[in-house]
Amino acid sequence: MISTKIKKILVLTFCAVFFVFAFVGCGGKDNGNKQINLMTWGGDFIPREIINQFEEETGIKVNYKEVTSNEEMQSLLEANPDQYDLAVVTDYMVDILRQNGYLEKLDKGKIPNFANINPVYQGNYYDENDEYSIPYAVSISFLLVNPEGVAALGADPITSYKDLWQEELKDSIVLIDWSVEVIGLVLKSLGYEYNETDPVKVAEAKEKLFELKDNIVRFETNTPEDSLISGEAVAGFMYSNQAVKGQAADPKLQPVFPEEGMPIYIDCFVMSKDAPNKDNAYQFLNFLLEPEISAKISELTNFSNANKAAEEFLPEDFKNNPMLNFPDEVIKNTSFYIGVAEVYEEYEHIYSEFKMQF
Amino acid sequence: MFNLKKIKQNAPAVPILVWTGILVGIPLIYVVVLSFLSRDSLGNIVFEFTWENYKRIFDPVYLKVFYNSFLLAVLTGLITLLIGYPVAYFTANLEANRRSLAMGLIILPFWISSLLRVYGWIILLGNNGLINSLLLKFKIIDKPLTMMYNFGTVLVGTAYMLIPFMIVALYNSIDKLDRSLLEASYDLGASKWKTFFKITLPLTMPGIAGGFTLVFIPALGLFFISDLLGGGKNIFLGNLINAQIKGRNRPLAAAFSVGMIILVLLVLYIYTRITKNKKEGLFL
Repeated sequence: MISTKIKKILVLTFCAVFFVFAFVGCGGKDNGNKQINLMTWGGDFIPREIINQFEEETGIKVNYKEVTSNEEMQSLLEANPDQYDLAVVTDYMVDILRQNGYLEKLDKGKIPNFANINPVYQGNYYDENDEYSIPYAVSISFLLVNPEGVAALGADPITSYKDLWQEELKDSIVLIDWSVEVIGLVLKSLGYEYNETDPVKVAEAKEKLFELKDNIVRFETNTPEDSLISGEAVAGFMYSNQAVKGQAADPKLQPVFPEEGMPIYIDCFVMSKDAPNKDNAYQFLNFLLEPEISAKISELTNFSNANKAAEEFLPEDFKNNPMLNFPDEVIKNTSFYIGVAEVYEEYEHIYSEFKMQF
Repeated sequence: MFNLKKIKQNAPAVPILVWTGILVGIPLIYVVVLSFLSRDSLGNIVFEFTWENYKRIFDPVYLKVFYNSFLLAVLTGLITLLIGYPVAYFTANLEANRRSLAMGLIILPFWISSLLRVYGWIILLGNNGLINSLLLKFKIIDKPLTMMYNFGTVLVGTAYMLIPFMIVALYNSIDKLDRSLLEASYDLGASKWKTFFKITLPLTMPGIAGGFTLVFIPALGLFFISDLLGGGKNIFLGNLINAQIKGRNRPLAAAFSVGMIILVLLVLYIYTRITKNKKEGLFL
């Protein structure tokens, strides 16, 4: 039997330790300077294999913090700019962080491999002069279609967004569950641009959206490809990596790049203004942009590569797959969602009203 | 005024009070303050007082979302009550060792991730799901029944997810019931049903109210069930708040949250009215 006194001491010690950990946190930032603190999406977004190789070659330890949203990264970075060196955020967040003044202007002299970046992915709206960001993973959205399923329903083949409105496609379409994406798709089908603010065009899009109601079987953001694999949908609007998964599970599913245009998303590396380990971070960035490394990352993550020099190191099936290695004409037909905050309340309202119709 | 003995008695409670005060109180104040703030074109929060967020809530579309959530939560409460009461009643009347086994079985699903359990329902109810496959195999139907992606599916999922709370609350109440009162009722010639409605039901009212409250509150806020089982076609308060946060409109999300908190307080108020003077309930 443990005496009550010892028990008490144990409990107190536990409490003390708990409080210390709770308040101090596990930053561990003064552990020498052979390290970098990196934060980004989980799920092997930057593959462990690659990080291990970097650690072995340079002796720099990579502390990888996994987060679930751009907003989480924003608040972490803005609250503790001196705790993080690098983050990988989506294009619009680069713009926000840059305008809020939390990003370091990158010294390109320390990243000679920056020259490998495909010019198509340079000079975008979030960083016109490529001062703050380095594109890491590119994805787009398009339609994944089951041509046999479409034919079986008696509908015409789907080649554009417009074809989604066919009456025969009742309860057969799955869409990404986000107002900006869904209304964006409708705007494109009408020949307008994303995040349109003109009330007349928005009203027109709203009417057109309501006409699509009967054809939607489901809204799903995380695994829309499942609806096509299971057969409950014959066409879906989804992210490229999901379409890749869908086709891998069912080879008869085919990508359709709608002629009206598609959205593009670029996840970029950015550096905190007060990064504690800047030199190590530059070393890491340059390492990731090595053509072989970059190709390996694409192969492991199924994200398209912004690295032109990496192309020759990509396996054949990756290179020839238009859902992984986007053809230039597809990329030229893409655009970003710019100015979401401005239209968001209006779009969310339309979207909520739309969902109330079901 | 300062009773030393009382202070000594209550001292162990201080750390936990401070702890919850920090972890619950501060975020709550933050949410309320946030709901009155504005934001700039980048979605950054601006310290500028506004009623705008609350005005938006009173939009007919959003009021309907409030109504939908309320309806879902009330129906969930009623369904779990109707199914949970008999279960709790029989469990409470079992022998001691069987009783703990039964309670263990009721709690068991909590050991599995709730997300996985929701996927279980998809496997069961989907177009290619278990039920449809069996019905098709035995030629009872010739085309899969559509059971997924509507309000009913969301209701089933929510009720399934929350029913253990109801059963445990009812069980505690029924267990405390003085059986001699029932005997007295039978002795005086009351039928089984009359005894139930005149004695058992009124005496277990605090358990019913407690269970209802425990089910109602989370039912208001669960959003992944309507995303997965409702196919995103039904929106509830949780979805609305989630979407506003995703769109970097945290002040409006906070205003919706305050609206939801008021709905919860309303239910808690009714709850305290029901359990008042009964010396039993969640807060005693």
